[in-house]
Amino acid sequence: MKHLLVKECKLAASPLSYLFLAFALMTLIPGYPILMGSFFICFGLFHSLQSARENNDLLFTILLPVSKAEVVKAKFAFAVLIQLSAFLLCLLLTLLRVTLLKGAGVYTGNAMMNANQAFLAYQLLIFALCNRLLYTGFFRTGYGFTRPFLAFGIAAFAVIAVTEALHHVPGLAWLNATDTMHDGAQWLILAMGLLVYLLVTFCACRRAVRLFEKVDL
Amino acid sequence: MSRVLDVVGLTKDYPKFKLDEVTFSVEKGSIMGLIGRNGAGKTTTIKAILNLTHRSSGKICYFGMPLEGHENEIKQRIGYTAGAVDYYKKKKIRDILAITKGFYSAWDESAWQRFMRQFELDEDKSPSQLSEGMKVKLNLAMALSHGAEILILDEPTSGLDPISRDELLDIFRMLAREGTAILFSTHIISDLDKCADEITYIQRGRVAATGKKQAWLEQCRRKGYGDNLEEIMIHLEKEARYEAFAGERV
Repeated sequence: MKHLLVKECKLAASPLSYLFLAFALMTLIPGYPILMGSFFICFGLFHSLQSARENNDLLFTILLPVSKAEVVKAKFAFAVLIQLSAFLLCLLLTLLRVTLLKGAGVYTGNAMMNANQAFLAYQLLIFALCNRLLYTGFFRTGYGFTRPFLAFGIAAFAVIAVTEALHHVPGLAWLNATDTMHDGAQWLILAMGLLVYLLVTFCACRRAVRLFEKVDL
Repeated sequence: MSRVLDVVGLTKDYPKFKLDEVTFSVEKGSIMGLIGRNGAGKTTTIKAILNLTHRSSGKICYFGMPLEGHENEIKQRIGYTAGAVDYYKKKKIRDILAITKGFYSAWDESAWQRFMRQFELDEDKSPSQLSEGMKVKLNLAMALSHGAEILILDEPTSGLDPISRDELLDIFRMLAREGTAILFSTHIISDLDKCADEITYIQRGRVAATGKKQAWLEQCRRKGYGDNLEEIMIHLEKEARYEAFAGERV
């Protein structure tokens, strides 16, 4: 698996998958739907699938002494690597916003979503959707990613719209608080987000393995 | 000679095509030509024996081991190349190699260097900078450097000029002399006239003939089908078409 992951990073991946990690910086933008950054990070992963298809990556890999299941797991491992790197970056920037910058006027008066633990949980939800809809969808055929990406795009924008609206619902304003470092409910939401991400990704990978086993290349 | 590949009763059902009970074997140090017209089932056969396509039934054994349960072990000892396919077009050969060799326990760096010199390949070039013939040579060099005992080649000479084709056929002959088995699908029949030891002829998904090339040629010549492989194949294809036409009329 180590060799396969190195192959994913060095041969199969599009440089855009790495460059688009910079969208994590959107976490600091006030007055903007910052969750869009998570969508763009997944868009970078989409480019890697595209690059893999253009470079006959699946055929090359399947001819190596590895199983089909390992090929799928390596693609998921790469996606998780990028997503967790992005998550780590966003986590650091979020910690900055809920500690040093918690009283900054641009954030306290921000009508859009603030960066806090709930935001990180929503981000993990978008990453989970990417793995379930885009990656699993791709392995249904081993080449088609237009429909899976469309499905992911629609789902991701729905999550962004709902979560942006959520804190305007009476009683839920706390979801958008800026001083959340010691807010147990916020940490609980993040823990739930992490759990959902891990569970969905694990199930998505297992399903992708099953689907890809049936594919004739 | 010991058998390297055994294909027994290989069947693959598609809605509009059936690869039907294909059976043949390839021996160590021999070149087996897989011939047939476009759409006869050559590529399907190759994909099935590489496990790229699921077979409906049949058995495939390499080195006496069934493909099921020994796939990784077998893949360490086989090489595949298709004429038109290139991988990671914009990456340097050096970078592709650095990753690839990590997968093979028997990777031989000195053999790689030798093939690079022999095939005049430059590690600092990318596949997109190579001619079609050089791409095939690159794939061959990679396969041979991990000690592939059988090369499975799908139309490796398609799209090559006659001189490059002749050069590749010389390489195949040299490899066979050194003990490598080669399964070589093509519709350029003259290539097999030059280098194949054995022939498997697939017609509409079925094996019409398999065995030693010379013996089969003699047999067909005696029946007046033609003097060389190309003439014989054209004769047999026409015959099959007439039979099918007559069958439809009845």
